[in-house]
Amino acid sequence: MSLKMWSLKKSVWVFHVNVGACNNCDIEVVNMLTPKYDVERFGIKLVGSPRHADALLVTGVGTHQAVIRLREVYRQTAKPCVVFLIGACACGTGIFKGGYHVAGPVDEIIREVDPDAIIAYVPGCPPKPEAMISGVVKVLSAL
Amino acid sequence: MLQEELKNRLSEVKDKLIGIEETTERRIYLLCEAENAHAVNKFLFEDLALRFVIATGIDSDDCFEILYHFSNDETGCVITIKAFIRDREKPSIESITPFLPGAEWIEREIHDLLGIDFENHPNLRRLILADDWPEGVYPLRKACPERSEGTKK
Ligand code: SF4
Repeated sequence: MSLKMWSLKKSVWVFHVNVGACNNCDIEVVNMLTPKYDVERFGIKLVGSPRHADALLVTGVGTHQAVIRLREVYRQTAKPCVVFLIGACACGTGIFKGGYHVAGPVDEIIREVDPDAIIAYVPGCPPKPEAMISGVVKVLSAL
Repeated sequence: MLQEELKNRLSEVKDKLIGIEETTERRIYLLCEAENAHAVNKFLFEDLALRFVIATGIDSDDCFEILYHFSNDETGCVITIKAFIRDREKPSIESITPFLPGAEWIEREIHDLLGIDFENHPNLRRLILADDWPEGVYPLRKACPERSEGTKK
């Protein structure tokens, strides 16, 4: 395991990106950080800049307006970086598939920027905090 | 204001309406033509002091409808003004933002999505569509091709 990978897995700092979610997934993301689930005890912490982040938590379908920003945010994160797609929308545009403002799915947008991106899918509408934590654990043990 | 008083006061604008529908105890629809909507809104907001909740825009085949929803918080009764815009080529209606600033964004949103021109709106810029969305394409109109196919780039 490279030094970069080893350090990535130690305490994962996350940056939360909403690219057109209905806000429900975002509430669950915040819920994951509240004392009940308290993922900070695993070193998982929300940070205010993608440059400080080891992982992106992406929610939403990827609207025309937002994907331009998403590409830029992904470019700015330190690599290696794990992209967590939270919710049915982010995993494959969900109920908004074919909508007039949908440019996603988000995984394709990320792969356009970086074909080797590490992408993890956490489906659900919205996924429970338990599902997100389980997703994080699975990814970190697979790396 | 209690329900009885509300109904009495509503009859003051009767000449501007084409109908009043009471679907339930707590739901009243005031139907009117687009040119009278401004006056009826003003009456509900300023004279009856009802609370403006939100507005809705609908493309209903032969006309556009703008629904202005007001709430009488004392009784929980919702009064909706249903304004019909018959001109489908250049749909327009008088803006209520000059006396009701809370309506500014919803009018901008309806303008974005349905292409309805709100006359005398102080700031009718694009609100929710993408910056590069083509001018003159209104996604919530029934005839809009982008509506179902999506616009993949
Ligand atoms: S997956 Fe469901 S809850 Fe999450 S943004 Fe989409 S519609 Fe909202």
